[in-house]
Amino acid sequence: MKGARIMARLPSVKVLLFTLVLGALLGIIGVALVREATITPAATARALRPTLSPRPALTPVEEAYALALWPIHNEVKAGALRMIAGGLSYKLGQLDRAALKTRIETARDTYRKAAASIGTLEPPPSMVKHHGDYREAVRLYEQSAREMVRVSDDGRDEHLVRAHPLSMQAGVILLKVGNELWPTEYKPN
Amino acid sequence: MTHHRAVGVEMTKSLRVIAIATAVALIGGLGTVTTQAQAPQYSVWLVESSRFMGVPFGAFMPDRAFVPGSTSPMNNINTVDLPVNVGVIKGGNDIVLYDAGWKAQDYLKMTGSAHWAPLPQQLAQLGIKPEDVTKIVIGHGHWDHAGQLSDFPNAVLYVQKAELEGIEWALNYPHPRISAVNTSPGGCARSPACGYPPLTLAEIYGKVLSGKAVIVDGQREIAPGLIIHPAHRAHTAGSQLLQVNTAIGQILFGSDVFSSWEGIRDWMIANPQQTDTVQQFLAYEKCYKITGGFQNCVAAHEPLSYTDKYPITKNSWVGPNGSRAAEVVLAPGEMSRKPK
Repeated sequence: MKGARIMARLPSVKVLLFTLVLGALLGIIGVALVREATITPAATARALRPTLSPRPALTPVEEAYALALWPIHNEVKAGALRMIAGGLSYKLGQLDRAALKTRIETARDTYRKAAASIGTLEPPPSMVKHHGDYREAVRLYEQSAREMVRVSDDGRDEHLVRAHPLSMQAGVILLKVGNELWPTEYKPN
Repeated sequence: MTHHRAVGVEMTKSLRVIAIATAVALIGGLGTVTTQAQAPQYSVWLVESSRFMGVPFGAFMPDRAFVPGSTSPMNNINTVDLPVNVGVIKGGNDIVLYDAGWKAQDYLKMTGSAHWAPLPQQLAQLGIKPEDVTKIVIGHGHWDHAGQLSDFPNAVLYVQKAELEGIEWALNYPHPRISAVNTSPGGCARSPACGYPPLTLAEIYGKVLSGKAVIVDGQREIAPGLIIHPAHRAHTAGSQLLQVNTAIGQILFGSDVFSSWEGIRDWMIANPQQTDTVQQFLAYEKCYKITGGFQNCVAAHEPLSYTDKYPITKNSWVGPNGSRAAEVVLAPGEMSRKPK
């Protein structure tokens, strides 16, 4: 009888288990709510921050090739910039057709010399694709110049419009190759 | 007596002239204030075109250079991550971008950058299509600020005449150190023509060729409540700011003139590049004058962007490829674009 009364006062196992499970669930919900309240967009962004692994260094032969192409690239880049800036200045009425022609012919000369210089380089096997791409960029700039200079003959802007996509394409290649060979060329500006 | 009367008459005349001049000035000033106050209010968002990771703080802000062992909060941070912030402004008949990020393809990853997403994709999260953009104001023509112009076919580009003239001047200067487009092997080290890859200049040229460019000479109102202010040599030869009328007052976008918001707050130079630092300080002063303080000055590369520590950008979320965006202010009746 005494045992039965004691048993009657003890909560049943089922109730105990239910209470424990409920408590655990409430605890999980509570932790989740606190976490949601404290996570900031910045914290989320930090969590998404990529671990940038360092780029593999160029091998000695690759670096030698990159160094050899660098001065050629400087000339090509300067030539392209002067050619495009010339087109801009012409459209803004600051250069006449004769001056534009001189500017473009100078750029064409730069591209021809660059093409000849590039032809003397022997890229390592791993750089053959970049070598070919860079030659293509120079060819595209030369083609663009050939089209642009026609405006000095007939004054028709359609030559400039036709030349422009060629310059854009060449510019993309220059950045693509540069990203591999000279990755520090452009710093945050 | 006659002398005194003559003097009195002269004084009355002078007072009349002064009174008329004052009245004219007041009416003129009032008209200006009334115009800006009557201008439409714009909604403003900020999107992060990309982020340059692990930049030495001292390279960005010389006065915040890391000093090993220092306990000063000014000098105890070694590197920072710099966002490339693009302003998105909507109101009236316009959707305007301030700056245009830089262009990357799958194979084009500028060293040390992360979280790049195409601007059209970032605008899509705001419900904006590329063809909806009507105007792009570039703070300056550097590669990371004028890179995606051709992705917005209907947008008219606004660029300072001084910026184009500055590039032309630098490229043709008769000294190789000054006209240099690159300097050390593999590097473009801050010569005046530096920072303008042929592709970026071609992007600007393309807008001019297609008749979708306005070459700005100084200050210009490009729409009611949107005013370009020149900030020449405050970062590049033809840098420009954009004032925007909003429900939280005037906001002033500054591109790299305002590279650092902490720099504006603490009067420190930032991102020297080709900067005339005196002009940069004068541009900071302009922000204080136009907006009434430093809180509404929008910086292009502020490391605290999208956090509570840069309050105007704190209403933020994470978007495509981990890039961030912030809802700065909404015009009356504009719905929020922040994801729920």
